[in-house]
Amino acid sequence: MELERISVVLRPRAPREALDLGAAMLRANALAVWSAWFAFTLPVFVVCNALGVLLGLPWLGLVLMWWLKPLFDRLPLYVLSRAVFDRPPSWRETLRGQRQWSWRSTLAALSWLRVDSNRALRLPMELLEGAPRKLRSARWKVLRRRIVADTSLLTYGCLQFELVLFLSAWLLGAMLIPHEWRADSLGDFFRHDVRDASTTWMLLAAAVAYLAMSAIEPLYVACGFALYLNRRTQLEAWDIDLAFRRMHTRLQALGKVLGILLVCAWSLAGHAATSAQAPSKPTAASLQQVFRQPADGADQRFATAATETYRDPRFGGEHTTRKWVFKYAPKPAPNASPIPFPAFGNALAIIFKALMWLLLIVASASLLRFAWRWRGRLTPAPVEPMSTLSPSMRVSVVADAPLPADLAAAARALWQAQHQREALALLYRGCVEQTARLLKLPPSADATEADWLRQAAAIDDPAHAQRVIAIVRTWQFAAYAGRYPDDAGIEQLLRGWPVEAGAPA
Amino acid sequence: MLDTVREIETPEGIALRLRAAGALPRAQAWMVDMLLRMGVFMLAMIPLSLFGMGGNGLAMLLLFALTWAYSVVCEVWLGGQTLGKRALGLRVVNADGTPVTWLPSVVRNLLRVVDVLPGVYGVGLVSTLIDPYARRLGDIVAGTMVIHAIELPAGQQVPTLAAVPLPVVLVADEQAALVEFAERSGQLTLQRQEELANLLTPLTGRNDSAAVRQLIGHANWLLGRP
Repeated sequence: MELERISVVLRPRAPREALDLGAAMLRANALAVWSAWFAFTLPVFVVCNALGVLLGLPWLGLVLMWWLKPLFDRLPLYVLSRAVFDRPPSWRETLRGQRQWSWRSTLAALSWLRVDSNRALRLPMELLEGAPRKLRSARWKVLRRRIVADTSLLTYGCLQFELVLFLSAWLLGAMLIPHEWRADSLGDFFRHDVRDASTTWMLLAAAVAYLAMSAIEPLYVACGFALYLNRRTQLEAWDIDLAFRRMHTRLQALGKVLGILLVCAWSLAGHAATSAQAPSKPTAASLQQVFRQPADGADQRFATAATETYRDPRFGGEHTTRKWVFKYAPKPAPNASPIPFPAFGNALAIIFKALMWLLLIVASASLLRFAWRWRGRLTPAPVEPMSTLSPSMRVSVVADAPLPADLAAAARALWQAQHQREALALLYRGCVEQTARLLKLPPSADATEADWLRQAAAIDDPAHAQRVIAIVRTWQFAAYAGRYPDDAGIEQLLRGWPVEAGAPA
Repeated sequence: MLDTVREIETPEGIALRLRAAGALPRAQAWMVDMLLRMGVFMLAMIPLSLFGMGGNGLAMLLLFALTWAYSVVCEVWLGGQTLGKRALGLRVVNADGTPVTWLPSVVRNLLRVVDVLPGVYGVGLVSTLIDPYARRLGDIVAGTMVIHAIELPAGQQVPTLAAVPLPVVLVADEQAALVEFAERSGQLTLQRQEELANLLTPLTGRNDSAAVRQLIGHANWLLGRP
């Protein structure tokens, strides 16, 4: 067995977690496991049932298949043990490989150990280790210690799962097949003794049981194998072994450099060992010596700081609370004579009636509270003033429409119609376009007000620049703060450049 | 490498490891819950059966609560553990490792209706066997998973020996392996300890029990002991 080639993560796991690793291993090697499984068990299933029918004992197939389970267990174990340490074998290899394993333990499992809740764990020990007889019982004692409960849980759980799948198939059939299509003999199958059941139903039951077994038995073996791996990891520290092997290769790769280092290390190690006995010669060999303070909780300075911090009221500490309490202890209620049941029932009824009333009151109160909180929220929102704008006016405000020929008149009309925001928007747009034209800038839709303020600095004529700044600022105050200039202010902005394009500033 | 761990990395670069719980432990936890609930219901039926129709009504209410509310209440208020899950050391968490909250808990428990089909949890069983994190359909829809909550089997204290500094710089994994060796050496036989220690002869330059002692010394040094 070469541990380096293992394909599962080895780490100490709780036994129950190891069971789940078994399921993961099975999932990863499902194809290899089940191809080998069906290649061997399907002929056996056919033979067993044919034998049963020929002998006139239709239940024999069902019983034989159950009885032969320990024989079938060898297949999944072979596949998984090869898959974990090497690669999954094909079904031919699996069947051929069975000859390598001894048959003695399988014979035991088929006869006096047939009812054994530890089969899943015994299987890998006997087949994979193949220890001689004398050692085996001692080995078994070591291996099963502490995980006997989990092995039994595994056996019991898998039995349950098989039953669940078996019943599920029948119940699903019962749910999906219409009533009139059901054969009458089905009722007899459940009503009468199993021995009297008709052969067809018996064979069908055997087939369903075989399918359920095929699904769960590999899981059982895989989980047992995972338990075994986990126990070996625990007993022999396989994970540490792997880590050490990796270290070994890395350190050897370091090679001669390390050789030189080792010479120094030995001297240093000797040094450290002596310094532990004679602390008068400090070397930086441990945390304590590096940081000049004890590594554990014996640090005085830290302890005082911690107590100081805990004294802070925000970190808990002592609280004083005041509350009212009865000065006189309440008198114990006089012992009532045992109430006969009708009276007790009445009391119960009254209590429940009171509870119902209480529920009603709480419900209506919360409904009222809800209505109070949401009052006025459901009235329709006030109509937007924008909608009163005439269509021609709206067009001039929208950004991608061309500006009106007489910008000042349009803005003034908007202003006088109390659409101050729109008027200023129009003014701002006009101003921006004029500025762009003046500076020969390409038209850009995503320039912000701040961009235009920056552009204004590039205008040669300071009077023009000041007007641009004034208009942009006015627009900003209006747009973001809702502060509008008075009529005189707007009139001043509308006169001269840039609204009247040719005019001086 | 096969494992049942779901690793989640937080934005801070911390890897959280969720150890997904498989079908077998979960089925046993469900079984424990089932028996508990049946016990409670039967005990409650003894007094309730004296009250005729009214008692029957109360019994129905109790049955409803035990069927639908029990799991949700336990999962939300008892840290993601019903009593059966607590007994088996399991816990329900959201798929990102956070504690399960109301909505996912309600969803995953309502969808038991689907998982229970066709009456004996057949769908749930098949789903848990197929899914890599053993989630049933309810878990997949609600975005939750069931994990192992019990602590891992730990080793003992590292035996105290004089610290020996390491001659070379080891990466974090290798340091952890050394400390782990020192912690678990008490559980190994002497021969196995020496066998393992001999693997690291390039590091220690020694063999057998001297190598074991030196490795434990290194572990002491790594732990910051004098």
